[in-house]
Amino acid sequence: MRLAIVAIAGAALIPFATRALIGDDDYWLQVLIWVMFFAYLSAAWNLIGGFGGQYSIGHAGLLGIGAYTSSLLYVQAGVSPWLGMLAGGALAAVIGGVIGYPCFRLRGAFFSLVTIAFAEMLRVGTELTDSLFGLPINGVRGFLLPVVGHRPAEFQFSGKRGYYYVMLALLLVILAVGWLVKRSRLGYYLAAIRDDEDAAAALGVHPARAKLVAMMLSSFFTAIGGTFYAQLVGFITPTRTMSLDFSVQMVVMPVLGGIGTVLGPLWGALVLVPIGEVTRARWGGSVQGVHLIIYGALLMLVILRWPQGIDPWLRGFVRRRRAAAAVEVAPLAVAEGPRVAPRAPAGGGEPLLRVGGLRRSFGGAVGVRDLSFHVAPGEVVGIIGANGAGKTTVFNLLTGALDADAGDVWFAGQRLDRERPETRNRLGIARTFQIVRPFIGLTALENVMVAALPRAASVGEARREAARWLAFAGLAYRADVIASGLSTGERKRLELARALATRPRLLLLDEVTGGVDQRSLPGLVRLMQQIRAEGLTLLVIEHNLRVVTALADRLLVLHLGEKIHEGAPQAVVTDPAVVDVYVGGPVARG
Amino acid sequence: MRGLAQAVTSGLLIGGVYGLIALGLNIVFGTMRVVNFAQGTLLMVGMFVTYWLWELGGVHPYLSPLVTVPLLFGLGFLIQHLFVSPLLARERAREPMSVLLLTLGLALVLENAALLFFSADFKTVTTDVSMQTVKTAGLIVSVPRLVGLAALAATSVALYVFLTRTDLGRAVRATGQDREVARLMGINDFRIYGVAYGLSAAMMGIAGAVLVPFFYIHPGVGTSFLLKAFVIVVLGGLGSMPGAALGGLLVGVIEGAVALWVQAAIAQIVLFGIFVAILFVRPAGLLGVERR
Repeated sequence: MRLAIVAIAGAALIPFATRALIGDDDYWLQVLIWVMFFAYLSAAWNLIGGFGGQYSIGHAGLLGIGAYTSSLLYVQAGVSPWLGMLAGGALAAVIGGVIGYPCFRLRGAFFSLVTIAFAEMLRVGTELTDSLFGLPINGVRGFLLPVVGHRPAEFQFSGKRGYYYVMLALLLVILAVGWLVKRSRLGYYLAAIRDDEDAAAALGVHPARAKLVAMMLSSFFTAIGGTFYAQLVGFITPTRTMSLDFSVQMVVMPVLGGIGTVLGPLWGALVLVPIGEVTRARWGGSVQGVHLIIYGALLMLVILRWPQGIDPWLRGFVRRRRAAAAVEVAPLAVAEGPRVAPRAPAGGGEPLLRVGGLRRSFGGAVGVRDLSFHVAPGEVVGIIGANGAGKTTVFNLLTGALDADAGDVWFAGQRLDRERPETRNRLGIARTFQIVRPFIGLTALENVMVAALPRAASVGEARREAARWLAFAGLAYRADVIASGLSTGERKRLELARALATRPRLLLLDEVTGGVDQRSLPGLVRLMQQIRAEGLTLLVIEHNLRVVTALADRLLVLHLGEKIHEGAPQAVVTDPAVVDVYVGGPVARG
Repeated sequence: MRGLAQAVTSGLLIGGVYGLIALGLNIVFGTMRVVNFAQGTLLMVGMFVTYWLWELGGVHPYLSPLVTVPLLFGLGFLIQHLFVSPLLARERAREPMSVLLLTLGLALVLENAALLFFSADFKTVTTDVSMQTVKTAGLIVSVPRLVGLAALAATSVALYVFLTRTDLGRAVRATGQDREVARLMGINDFRIYGVAYGLSAAMMGIAGAVLVPFFYIHPGVGTSFLLKAFVIVVLGGLGSMPGAALGGLLVGVIEGAVALWVQAAIAQIVLFGIFVAILFVRPAGLLGVERR
């Protein structure tokens, strides 16, 4: 904190220092303005690209929208660019949302392609348009903003100092926004989505919505940067303002600085902008693009060698200096674990879950064939069957990770086979995964917070709630460990805590004991028995017959996607037909 | 009406080249779920090699694929081996986004290095076919563009045969469907990725050769085609081979028809409108497979 205050005060004093040292030469101030400008843009990009892991390569289009909106409003209607800046931001937020929304229902590379195509079409379209609805766009020529002298109310200053302070303020605002977002509900959702979108949705996080909000925020601030650019340079053209160059720089800087960190964009700009200035000064107008060779090479190097960028390294540096003065962190104060009781009692004698005629095939292979069953409130039902019997497919169909080809699923009197995964979780279905899927970039506590947040009133409440569930799962002592550092047994406990933190009425457990070493096994079984004892309705996939017969009230046996038997555990496991498929051959009697 | 028919024809012809580039993008995406930002740069390399072969050796551009196809295949294989493989080995994600950034860096380096060494002058190659046209049914058809369309058709057929009729091709498809399972079946997934990347690069050798007789050569030329190819793969369906060909022709025709009827600016706006509409109606693209 003290470091930050010193840095801000220092930055605020620089214009006086340059004046005292080198007179009224604004060159150095100009370089610093560019550093801050690119740090600002990169930080705006980072809101969706870094925090959300959605790499936009078309942010220059949004920059252009900001620059053109405020400039046209100023030239045509005399609206002060300060207001035009907000109008451009709002317009960009809407357009960013429209572009992003369809992509966010899909994932990954698609968004990158769409954003780059968007920016490119916008640029070419603007270059070829002389007027639109009577507004003079001036095509490729762009336009000059009228020079009115020193009029702060109209966003014009004589000399660079005014722009320097405006940019410094904007930069502090965007860094503060990044800091706040990272600690907010949205920040946790984005971090979870970036690591594993399916697992996040299974915890009730709405991935498309979180990404949409981040994209709109990012678009808004990027467009504001566009207005600043127009006012600073006084001349905008589509070729420059919406250039692929700008889009690429907004990607390269945060990646170099540390993608997804709050200050990474600043570090990236501090390194790269001076490199650009030096090469431009050295090779000037004769050769363009030398700096881009360096940017590209650095980008490749960072991705291949230091995917975390500069930020962790700087942080380590500061931390080492502070290590001596470190105060011991108080252990998480945890009383008793919470009760696993269902959120609301199920109505009457109705089954909690009723599945009818469920079917799903993969190409030619049948995953699940005409499966029907029900689970009563408070009941524990086990699903057993050989590998490939379709057990996990059933879970995927129940939670919405897969869509069924036919059949219907009713839960607490509500049909949910067309609902999205996050909706099904919010209605009360939670799951664990056979192959554990923790959010590997978050701590154990934060993993559980993601699950608690959709139902919590505040981040603080979610943190307390998460701490209780971690304690319940016997993981309190690992709360602050990054999930990638947990053992398999601990990850299984983490998934249980995460699923329970969504306060489910039905919990689907997918091979909790699978892949766990013998030492961790008894503890996990005890945990499951504890959950059962508190009356939560469970659907359990389990290979370990001893575990499942002890846990379940009733067993379903699946074979090649079909239910071949159903009944009390002891009766099922001694049934010859079941033994036949399960053990894989007739068993000699006597 | 004749004007429209003429515009559609010209659009179809340039669409052939667009389709080739989009096809190259989709081979790589279809097998390793990676968007290759260096695709346009590879096209630029193909065009420059073709240009130098003509300028220094008098080799006709249509013969240059004999050199450029093996050369670019090797370059693609090498890029995959040196840069992409280490990342794929590290990333467990189904769509490794870091590769996208890596190829973006590679494109920046190569394109700007070309600018440094070959200068930003526009170069052209004028051959016997450059200005040739044939007239059929009252339509004027430019010969080099017709060759471009034929190249798309021939490459698509060859690719289809390769992917469906040969063991290596089947291995490429299998790896694209499920990398883990393909590996369990004894397929060396990294070799397959090398082949896919090499093939995609080799196609830029063909595209370069058919472009050179009627298009300028410049370090930035690849990027302008690549950006169009991105629009095309989004329209046609990311990873879909027929989608790439269809999207290429479609974009060519829209550009040609609207530019003739109204003006080029409107063509971009119409294209953009269609682009956004398809995003909302069929986000996976015209021939794309919906994946959630």
